[in-house]
Amino acid sequence: MKSKLVLLSIVFSLIFTNSIFADQKQLVGADADYGEHLFGECVTCHNSTGLGKGIPKITGMKTNQFITKILAYKSKEKENAVMQMVAERLGEEEINSLALYLSKLK
Amino acid sequence: MTKIKRRTFVGLAAASTTALSMPSIAFGALPRVVVIGGGAGGATAAKYIAKDSKGAIDVTLVEASKRYYTCFFSNLYLGDFRTYGSIGHNYYGLAVNHGVNMVHEWALSVNNAAKKVNLGSGESISYDKLVISPGIDLKFESVNGYSAEAQSKMPHAWKSGTQVQLLKNQVKGMKKGGTFVMVPPPNPYRCPPGPYERVSMIAHQFKKSNPTAKIVILDPKNKFSKQGLFMEGWQKHYPGMIEWINAETHGGIKKINAATMEFETDLDTFKADAASVVPAQRAGRIAMNAGVNKGDWCPIVPASMQAQADENIYVLGDASIAKSMPKSGFSANSQAKVAANHIRGSLTGSKVFTPRFANTCWSLVATNDGIKVGANYKATGEKIDKTSGFISKTGEDSNLRKATYEESIGWYSGITSDMFS
Ligand SMILES: Cc1cc2nc3c(=O)[nH]c(=O)nc-3n(C[C@H](O)[C@H](O)[C@H](O)COP(=O)(O)OP(=O)(O)OC[C@H]3O[C@@H](n4cnc5c(N)ncnc54)[C@H](O)[C@@H]3O)c2cc1C
Ligand code: HEC
Repeated sequence: MKSKLVLLSIVFSLIFTNSIFADQKQLVGADADYGEHLFGECVTCHNSTGLGKGIPKITGMKTNQFITKILAYKSKEKENAVMQMVAERLGEEEINSLALYLSKLK
Repeated sequence: MTKIKRRTFVGLAAASTTALSMPSIAFGALPRVVVIGGGAGGATAAKYIAKDSKGAIDVTLVEASKRYYTCFFSNLYLGDFRTYGSIGHNYYGLAVNHGVNMVHEWALSVNNAAKKVNLGSGESISYDKLVISPGIDLKFESVNGYSAEAQSKMPHAWKSGTQVQLLKNQVKGMKKGGTFVMVPPPNPYRCPPGPYERVSMIAHQFKKSNPTAKIVILDPKNKFSKQGLFMEGWQKHYPGMIEWINAETHGGIKKINAATMEFETDLDTFKADAASVVPAQRAGRIAMNAGVNKGDWCPIVPASMQAQADENIYVLGDASIAKSMPKSGFSANSQAKVAANHIRGSLTGSKVFTPRFANTCWSLVATNDGIKVGANYKATGEKIDKTSGFISKTGEDSNLRKATYEESIGWYSGITSDMFS
């Protein structure tokens, strides 16, 4: 009985990951609550309403695009002193949690 | 009536979901946080506690003013890059979007044992956790001859309000070819690059309408924040206009006279046609009253921003000793999020994350010439330690400087919407 349930939940999670969140299956260690918490750090600069000028809007960005951009700042391939500093202390868990949280915002 | 209904409903919901983990919270009674000071630290803390607890914590913000004029970008107002109206904000968003109970009064005293804040009206409010973010008070007496009376002749404009309007008026009305004297404060003070950005913006005004005017800076320090960058910018944009005289050279400001507009130093007596004097500072008075200070400022526990003297009180922003973070709006906003997460955790059992602090301060030297300095910080046992940082470089190209200025506009819009909407 118990093993059946486990099996069922694995099947469910597979369907879930593959179809609904296909874009996010690589989000190792992602936790949306952690992402929401971390996002607090971003909105000091990135206006959460997306209305601000001078700093680009980051809500509504596609997951892969978001990760690629953050990694480009982290590797210093993309220039910008503030974003390089922000990205520098984001590890995989942080980046994936932010990506997951951002994908859930409208 | 509707309000009471909503409260009751939320209270029931909160009690039923948290009953297992938090049996100490009485049925229907929400844990209560009172925040004193609705500035960069306090407004952010009130918002995040209310927003993230989704009604499970009752948040009251005690703020004397109904409108908050940011000190940040007040220099840009001096330089005509912003209107005064554009740096004013109200508390509508906190009340309406997040259910923060706004009390526009002065907090007069704190009764730590009874966990009560006494208000100017004679009312008192109870708290489970108290956040104090009152900003600074000025130590007028730190400059011999300066006083609350003299501030209208030589505005400090270092606290939110009409002082900066007065200063701008005096700058614009200064006689042609006259001398403006700026006296920056000694360390530690709010916004380390602020006095030098102010000088830049006043020079920008003079360049337009009073090009033979001079600015003399009588500094009680021997060096200052972003010094190389400011000096380079002054040379480039305002050649011959600004003279910075450090403490070693002038030997200290012995006395100032607001009636004759004279500044006496060992080096010389300087006569001003207009002036700004920013005295030494200390934590806002309510922090002293709550007994969470040690001398002029309040020692905190780096990981949570709790006052070392009282675990039920958190001190944010300028009032705290958040070494190595500078006293800035950005720092206060960052500290507020750490405290909000910790308070929520202790009142509702929600997850408390490893604290992360950051700061960036932009300054405007001239049109489209922005510079910046920033750092990441982490909490250690003793302090909030810098882990990495950056600073603009001298000789940067003008496109980068323009982009830096534009970033600061984005940041202003970001932080003010983070605080107030
Ligand atoms: C010229 C200038 C330029 C600056 N530029 C920048 C910048 O570019 N970037 C940056 O990050 N920072 C800047 N700052 C610094 C920034 O303004 C402060 O560091 C920041 O406001 C500190 O936040 P706080 O919450 O500690 O205090 P504040 O923002 O001062 O808020 C304190 C609030 O508490 C209220 N209050 C105090 N006591 C009581 C009481 N007893 N009862 C009720 N209400 C009370 C006050 O009315 C006030 O609204 C600048 C400052 C100046 C002066
Ligand atoms: C100190 C201000 C600041 C903070 C804090 C900040 N950013 Fe940024 N961010 C910027 C600026 C400025 C840019 C534009 C940089 C450039 O021109 O490449 C940017 C760009 C970005 C971009 C690229 C956007 C695009 O469309 O190209 C992403 C993604 C991003 N930030 C994510 C974040 C995340 C996630 C956080 C929080 C963990 C964060 N930022 C925190 C200032 C900030």
